[in-house]
Amino acid sequence: MKLTQALKMAAKSISANKGRSALTMLGVIIGLAAVIILVSYAQGQNLAMRKYYESMGENTLDVYAYSWDGSVDVNEELYNYCQRISDYVAGVTPNGRAWGVSISYGVQTLGEGNSYGGGIMIGGGGIMIGGGGGNYVEPPTFYLGNDQFSVCNNYTLARGRDISYMDIERLNQVCVLGASVAQSLFGMIDPIGETVTVNGMPFTVIGLYAPKGNGVTEYNESGDNWQEVAMSRMDNIVVFPHTLTRILNENQSIDEYTVKARDSQSTRMAATLIKSFMEGVLGDNGYVDVYNQTVYQEEEDEANKLQQYFLGGIAAISLIVGGVGIMNIMLVTVTERTREIGIRKAIGAERKSIITQFLIEAAMICGIGGIIGILVGYLGTLIVGKLAFKIVLIPGAGITVGAFAISVALGLIFGLYPAAKASRLQPVEALRAD
Amino acid sequence: MLIDIKNIYKIYNEGLESEVRALDGVSLQIDRGEFVAIIGASGSGKSTLMNILGCLDIPSYGDYSLDGTDVTELTDRELARIRNREIGFIFQGYNLISALNAYENVELPLIYQGISILKREDLVMDALERVKMADRAKHRPAEMSGGQQQRVAIARAIAARPPIIMADEPTGALDSRTGRHVLEILHTLHEEEGTTIILITHDNSIAATAHRIVRISDGKIVADSKNGGDLQAEVAREGGAGS
Repeated sequence: MKLTQALKMAAKSISANKGRSALTMLGVIIGLAAVIILVSYAQGQNLAMRKYYESMGENTLDVYAYSWDGSVDVNEELYNYCQRISDYVAGVTPNGRAWGVSISYGVQTLGEGNSYGGGIMIGGGGIMIGGGGGNYVEPPTFYLGNDQFSVCNNYTLARGRDISYMDIERLNQVCVLGASVAQSLFGMIDPIGETVTVNGMPFTVIGLYAPKGNGVTEYNESGDNWQEVAMSRMDNIVVFPHTLTRILNENQSIDEYTVKARDSQSTRMAATLIKSFMEGVLGDNGYVDVYNQTVYQEEEDEANKLQQYFLGGIAAISLIVGGVGIMNIMLVTVTERTREIGIRKAIGAERKSIITQFLIEAAMICGIGGIIGILVGYLGTLIVGKLAFKIVLIPGAGITVGAFAISVALGLIFGLYPAAKASRLQPVEALRAD
Repeated sequence: MLIDIKNIYKIYNEGLESEVRALDGVSLQIDRGEFVAIIGASGSGKSTLMNILGCLDIPSYGDYSLDGTDVTELTDRELARIRNREIGFIFQGYNLISALNAYENVELPLIYQGISILKREDLVMDALERVKMADRAKHRPAEMSGGQQQRVAIARAIAARPPIIMADEPTGALDSRTGRHVLEILHTLHEEEGTTIILITHDNSIAATAHRIVRISDGKIVADSKNGGDLQAEVAREGGAGS
């Protein structure tokens, strides 16, 4: 019998037994889709976590250092030392916070005591409209940094320029805005070069950071996941030259620094070097501690891996369940099929022809089921990705191919086994089956 | 000699307490062109005999030579070839494939024979004409009566023009009128084509139409009209008394 004949026979058999074919396909579809969705969910979780860490800044060190008597210029020493070990360090910045600051442009004010965005509108026309309808807007975080603030904290400049060395030296009243602050204050207006009022003093907006989060600025107490909220908070910032602590933060000294290492290897090296150097400089007159985020990141990765194994386990179980489903259908129809094989043998089919036909039949069912399963799995993954992580989550090629291969293999094994067994019988034995 | 079996045994559960000797040393010769009826009560071993004659089953012991070939030595593949080209089967339960329509069922042995699609079409339609089922070619078995299904089964058996037709209780599931019609088809085949017909039945009135009658009981041949004795008349009488 020719292969084309076997193909035709298999196709005929599938279309003639629609119920059986559909149920078998369903087993493949469910198993395959479940595996793809679950594994992709785990990968999405990982991805979201990684994205969060990346946005926070990979390979960063938090350095706490201060001189009790002010005899050491900690900023200067650390800055210079980091230039010297630039093989390991990509940047260093003071990471100061200014408290009790408010920033306003026109009628919009953000910050301390004015945290209802659009709520306080002192408009020229005397018309007061609660534009935001009392929407609570998280007050921005005001940072004091240097020219390397963006490098160290993984911000990229969308427009304008960064804080410069001259700004720091000359105490220029300038600031760089995070994406959501710019949105709240300026809306559609280009903020670069505009003058804002900070604590009553005029400041020039020199730069604008590209958004890190997904543009959701409202703080959602009813519980979006914390990573997302944290990421949208990262866009809700204003950065000033750190020397402006004199006018913005009652000249409090800055004790916190962020160091950006070249890579994860350098992170450990830099941590050790910086700690010992600063200890040497400060001696008994100060205190230094270096806090390595990578360690926490690795712990988190470890926990994620466990979760991935867990979900992978569930996925494997659902694949097995799908396989058992296929097996059930095949076994239920085995009597009918055995008779059919008996008839075919009685009228002259060779064992090879029968095996070929059933193999093609099982392959067709599993192939079609597999393709539908992949489509369902991709659709499900997209939906899950959108709902759970607000990202476009697409299943990996590895898991897709792997799950497809396994489900087709299951279908082939369970589809072929009864046929192979029955084809070995004497025709009369196969005919007797009922 | 077309068919020559010697001392054929078919023993189930051999050596056990439940041992059954379905065939207990059967020897039988059938010539080309014969019309033989094998009769016997149910459980006498007549179906087992036909299954072995038709290479649907293998004997426990004994020799079987079909047209000079020692069948017991053949591989599965060679047996398939014999079933495909030398023998046409007609079963009591029709044994059509329910997923296929009449045409496709009749076509099946021709496909396994590797006959081209154009030639197949001629052979299939010719076979269906002979059993007067050409107008039902597109019907599935479930859409046909028992008699119609059996006629399709006969068409399937004769489509490849095999030299031997074996029919196991072909009229067993049919009413007498339909049964007679089926029998007529077999007789026509025998007369016009010279096909060797081996017919198994427990119905003496049907057996009486055969040229030779073999009676089997408890796995042994107890009478053969070829070996003298007026089995023909005896069977006809029994058939007449029965009906």
